[in-house]
Amino acid sequence: MAAPFELSCWGGGWGLPSVHSESLVVMAYAKFSGAPLKVNVIDKTWRGSRGDVPILTTEDNIVSQPAKILNFLRKQKYNADYELSAKQGADTLAYIALIEEKLLPAVLHTFWVESDNYFSVTKPWFASRIPFPLSLILPGRISKGALNRILLTRGEPPLYHLREVEAQIYRDAKECLNLLSNRLGTSQFFFGDTPSTLDAYVFGFLAPLYKVRFPKVQLQEHLKQLSNLCRFCDDILNSYFRLSLGGISPAGQETVDANLQKLTQLVNKESNLIEKMDDNLRQSPQLPPRKLPTLKLTPAEEESNSLQRLSP
Amino acid sequence: MSLVAEAFVSQIAAAEPWPENATLYQQLKGEQILLSDNAASLAVQAFLQMCNLPIKVVCRANAEYMSPSGKVPFIHVGNQVVSELGPIVQFVKAKGHSLSDGLDEVQKAEMKAYMELVNNMLLTAELYLQWCDEATVGEITHARYGSPYPWPLNHILAYQKQWEVKRKMKAIGWGNKTLDQVLEDVDQCCQALSQRLGTQPYFFNKQPTELDALVFGHLYTILTTQLTNDELSEKVKNYSNLLAFCRRIEQHYFEDRGKGSSSIKSS
Repeated sequence: MAAPFELSCWGGGWGLPSVHSESLVVMAYAKFSGAPLKVNVIDKTWRGSRGDVPILTTEDNIVSQPAKILNFLRKQKYNADYELSAKQGADTLAYIALIEEKLLPAVLHTFWVESDNYFSVTKPWFASRIPFPLSLILPGRISKGALNRILLTRGEPPLYHLREVEAQIYRDAKECLNLLSNRLGTSQFFFGDTPSTLDAYVFGFLAPLYKVRFPKVQLQEHLKQLSNLCRFCDDILNSYFRLSLGGISPAGQETVDANLQKLTQLVNKESNLIEKMDDNLRQSPQLPPRKLPTLKLTPAEEESNSLQRLSP
Repeated sequence: MSLVAEAFVSQIAAAEPWPENATLYQQLKGEQILLSDNAASLAVQAFLQMCNLPIKVVCRANAEYMSPSGKVPFIHVGNQVVSELGPIVQFVKAKGHSLSDGLDEVQKAEMKAYMELVNNMLLTAELYLQWCDEATVGEITHARYGSPYPWPLNHILAYQKQWEVKRKMKAIGWGNKTLDQVLEDVDQCCQALSQRLGTQPYFFNKQPTELDALVFGHLYTILTTQLTNDELSEKVKNYSNLLAFCRRIEQHYFEDRGKGSSSIKSS
């Protein structure tokens, strides 16, 4: 088995393995291509970097953006596009460009710029996963970066004003969603029956928009009306992510046995500890003699019973 | 433009037919215009030729400032001014001429996707090469961009534009790319276009569409513009069907009407 790659990314919520679009694209691609990926969710400890998430770490390299990570995985022979024709490969690039140009500004706006959404949902969520002083700075920085990107790519000079741009970007995003829905039609994935890079990108951008609960839901409402895109997201979530909402790889027989072993060890440790405490108490003169715990009970029950008796 | 203003404009546009004296404004061809602007202008010209609409090209040094959105080219039709290929296509459609009516929904989606691919990769790569690659900036861009203006205005305007473009590159994540990575992206884009075109005469088989006009504009300009090094045009020359495509459109729509400029040297 190849050494597992470690991916550090933002965690999940609302039924998704990750709330961050780019991290979700990489996770989905890894599932589709069968790459063994160990997911390290960014949390409140200072371990790991939060800068250019998602980041893939292997023994010799560190790769950072989704496009580069996907290229890296393909070079390691984890290729989800194996069965696509040349034209379909070209279509993939074109649709990804479409998503980045038309849909991404509106998604960034919904998450990071729209004040109701940002202050009530996005900022608390991200701040709770970042250690203290950084939690005051980093979400604000990401928000400013998003606003900057929207204005620089869509704002028409010399008036870089947000309101004029908002209507345009939401209109473009709705048109993009309609185009994606037309292209998907009734098939299960974009190119036949097996998922590919394009499916990973579409899933990565649509799933957070679909699942996260926002106060201002203009784009989400539009997405919910496109039932085939919703069905697409749900299908992928159910088939590839159902057993791994915590970010752990699906349980095989070995992991089950390993877990059972760990549980037994833990229980044995506990019962040893309890016996030691019991000895100590018996030896100390102040306390009245106690009854020994009955041995015929199963380990778990014995532990809970003894704990009850030993508590003051 | 806001939604109301756009609806208003298309109503007005629909009212009158295409006049004879429509003009297209771009920067000065010989000394001032840059690679990306030339590509955009050629794309619009190709599109209008494909629709059989007469247009006169006028070169002005301040074309960029005359344009309503700050981008060239823009067309002056009747008493309306429309800039950039996207709005121009819609404007022309409001007047009743369209190249993409025969396409079904899926094909229209594909066409839009490929146009975004060209804008996303080819146009951004051209901008990067012009404004972020030190060699090209020093030798070509600064000199050309400020050429109609006296000193010190020429330097100030060139630096200001360069700062703007660099800011935009950083915002979309191209700030840290090296020239090699950019050229690789161009190669990927050309490969995708070449695979999509295959052996067909145009992207959507028999009839040209705005996608063909856009691709022609960019590829032709890349192939015929003299830069500090030839790497960009070499990337395009690797794909023979794209070369044949450009030659075909040039012959059909430009040389026939006696407007041939520098033609492509077949390699």
